[in-house]
Amino acid sequence: MNLSFLSPLFLIGLAAIALPVIAHLISRKNSLKKSFPAVKFLISTQGQLASRSRIKDLVLLLLRALILALIVLIFAKPAVFSFSQKMDKTPVSVAIVIDNSFSMGYEDNFKRAQDKAQDMIDSLPDGSFAFITALIPDNYNESHLLENTRLLRKSINEIELSFSFTDNEERLQDIFSYLQNAPTEKKIVALITDFQKNGWSNEDVRKPWLELIDISNGTNSPNHAVSGIDLNYINDSIRVVSRVSNFSNDIVAELLTTTQLGKQEIREFIDIDPQNSNALEASFTNYDISLPGSGSVQTTHDKLKADDVRYFISNYKEESRILIVDGDPREDSRLSETYYLARALETISENAATNITILDNNSILNKDLSDYQLVYLANVGEITPSFAKELEKFVNDGGTVVIFLGNRVSMGSYNALLKNILPGELLSLKEDNLSLILSSASIFPKDITDRTDQIRVEKLFNISIHPESEVLFKTTDDSPFLIKKELGKGNVFMFSSTADTSWNNFSITPVFLPVIKMIHDLPNIKKNKSRHYFVGEPVKIETIEGNDSTIIVDPRGKELKVNIESGEFQNTWLPGIYRVETDSKLNYSFAVNVDPRESKLEKISIPSIESSPEQTRDLVKVFKEIWRYFLWGVIALFVSEAAFRGIFS
Amino acid sequence: MSNEILDIETAVRLKGFNFRASSKVSGYKSGIHKSYYNGISPDFLDHKEYSRGDELKQIDWRLYGRHDRLYVKKFEDEVNMRWCILIDKSASMDYGDGEYNKFEYAKKLCATLAYLLLKQGDSVGLVAFSEDDIELITPRAGSHFITPILDKLETLKPSGSTGLKDPVLKALETYRSDASFVIMSDFLIDSKTIEQSIKLIRNSRKEISLFQVLHPDETEFNFSGSIEFEDLETAEKVIVDTGSLRHIYRKRVMEFIDKLKHICHENETRYVLSPTNQTIEKSLIQIANK
Repeated sequence: MNLSFLSPLFLIGLAAIALPVIAHLISRKNSLKKSFPAVKFLISTQGQLASRSRIKDLVLLLLRALILALIVLIFAKPAVFSFSQKMDKTPVSVAIVIDNSFSMGYEDNFKRAQDKAQDMIDSLPDGSFAFITALIPDNYNESHLLENTRLLRKSINEIELSFSFTDNEERLQDIFSYLQNAPTEKKIVALITDFQKNGWSNEDVRKPWLELIDISNGTNSPNHAVSGIDLNYINDSIRVVSRVSNFSNDIVAELLTTTQLGKQEIREFIDIDPQNSNALEASFTNYDISLPGSGSVQTTHDKLKADDVRYFISNYKEESRILIVDGDPREDSRLSETYYLARALETISENAATNITILDNNSILNKDLSDYQLVYLANVGEITPSFAKELEKFVNDGGTVVIFLGNRVSMGSYNALLKNILPGELLSLKEDNLSLILSSASIFPKDITDRTDQIRVEKLFNISIHPESEVLFKTTDDSPFLIKKELGKGNVFMFSSTADTSWNNFSITPVFLPVIKMIHDLPNIKKNKSRHYFVGEPVKIETIEGNDSTIIVDPRGKELKVNIESGEFQNTWLPGIYRVETDSKLNYSFAVNVDPRESKLEKISIPSIESSPEQTRDLVKVFKEIWRYFLWGVIALFVSEAAFRGIFS
Repeated sequence: MSNEILDIETAVRLKGFNFRASSKVSGYKSGIHKSYYNGISPDFLDHKEYSRGDELKQIDWRLYGRHDRLYVKKFEDEVNMRWCILIDKSASMDYGDGEYNKFEYAKKLCATLAYLLLKQGDSVGLVAFSEDDIELITPRAGSHFITPILDKLETLKPSGSTGLKDPVLKALETYRSDASFVIMSDFLIDSKTIEQSIKLIRNSRKEISLFQVLHPDETEFNFSGSIEFEDLETAEKVIVDTGSLRHIYRKRVMEFIDKLKHICHENETRYVLSPTNQTIEKSLIQIANK
């Protein structure tokens, strides 16, 4: 906002400020002179009043000078102006879109976006229509095209900062589509945004109908965030492992981090290197892990407060459980068969409460697998008939088995005992130097398929594929490398080579982790109920059968209803702990957090409309006259001057 | 010229008033003031038994008839008195126009008082003073002595600053015997000096009366606007906003007058405030009634 004068010539009149000063000086010079006998009384009295009188004179002088200055300024027609896209006099229909994604909560970006929207409304040509909308609608009620600027201004203030982000291009396209019914010929969508990368899938978003207004201050936006929480249940204690990330180029020193669970709190100061994360462990001992609880990890606030806290639910019973069977354990864990597999699963488990158990061959032969959702067999040599049965039952009940072969694997016992489970028959062992190609592109994203040529396989089993099985990866000589089979309610995956690097380099290529994650995330894999969601994510509510009085109490304490038909709860717009209650009794709680991807404040490289020289040519100053405020100021000063004189006379 | 200074009409109106000393004096000529000596006054004082040497004409024969013993009447002696009128001729007295001029007022007051005192048989002397100039006329009795006093007053021109202690000392040297001092001044000096001067006179067992002659401007301060005032004696200048100063100035002046009254009361001194818009007659009646 800048100040200007529409009739600046009148500013010459500011010289009139000198009048009271000159009048004061002249009056001093030409004051009446008189001889007087009792000057001694005057001097003693004057001494007492001198400072008071001097202050009075100065204040009166200042007030009078201000009055004159303001009167002159009123004639000079003061006006504040802002730059706005040049709009010709022809009426226009404009959709003013305020970016309310949570990165806009940085400093006062959101407030500035609202102010900018106000300015745009003020500068609309007569006969124009506009409507205000939020980039992320959340639960904001969309307004309609209006000509009434008062209603438009009101709708600006109704938009609230969201805690999520959306597909910006799709949303903008929807808004532009809505404008097609507008009564004017010219139609514009104006987006007031901070241009943070999230939400934009395509960097070149410029369109003829889209006006982009950069509201960010253009400088780097350092930010830190609690980016993840992992819970480990050990006997009678819970270990909360939180990850605090520093997205700035400066070190974050002595950051106070508070982990809270129930009524207990653990505080710690941590340092985080630039563009790095630091894991923080908080152990709550003597804690009954069988009881569900909730808590949070919070850091000292920075300029973006929304991501400085992360909420979690502790519920041992609902933890996903994975069993890894290491057929070739070593004292040095790095040489162990399952080293890379365990690391990959640990990484994947950071986003959800997961319990990983690693056992050796002997320990699993009489193991009940019903507690697990995923079982990995890595170079397991000894298979007993009872274990084979247990494994088959496990898969039929919905479990997933992933088999890595190796030098301990006996083709005979595998083919005999696991014939119902295996997706193919083991034929022979062969050695070669092969790379990998994708056999089925249906379930893998592009970034995996592009990198398969990095994989080198030196030793693998020849496998005869069962007809119901599907080869996902194969070697360049057409030998199957990863085979999938669906059995009962579950799945079986079999790699024809090892899980470690003795026969191949698969586990140390960038493809390994996405493939393991893909298996972990398959929709038909039996999963436990998650109690952790992102903002805006719909939550399937478990209601008590025959009782439709279930309500959700959001983090603000507001009671919200569940859609009975779908059983889904959509209003997860606020981060925090939500309580699911039936008849005022707590069933369970779930946590809603911001998506940590938005915490990394990184601008897209769209040329800002305000900084682009091409665009600047089209900018015009939009003036708003403010002389009325000056007039009120003059009146106030007149009253003050009179009151001041009254007090001192 | 002399007639302008002497307010004859006032003097005639005040003819019946006697300006008496409040204590006994040691005058030797017949007058209206009570003497330390008994004898010639018609005021009866006491009886005493006759002894040799008493005048026969003072024997109370009626008492002899009742008591068969001789008693002699004793009477108070009434004598005349010497007055010393000190008139302030400092520059500060030269304020006010025409008849309201302080010095003109003081001269009139002085002339009229001197006339009345001479008329009642007292002797009157004059001391016109400023800090560095003291003019003195030795006391004389007799109505004809008014002429040199009036001539002297006529020639006085106000100048210099006010100084009271030295003139008082000088006057005390001249009036060693009983005398009554009358000081006419604006007393715009330090109150301690005034007190010391009064005490000097009182310690010499002399009576003292003060006429504080002030112009109404000095007490009311009815000026308006911003005025640059210059002191008549020190030429000190000060610019004041009279409106904002009036209230506190009046308070200060009244405090000073009250203090002066208090000093007078403490030292058994008669005090009369004589604003120049007050008649000479009123000022003289006030002093005569005290």
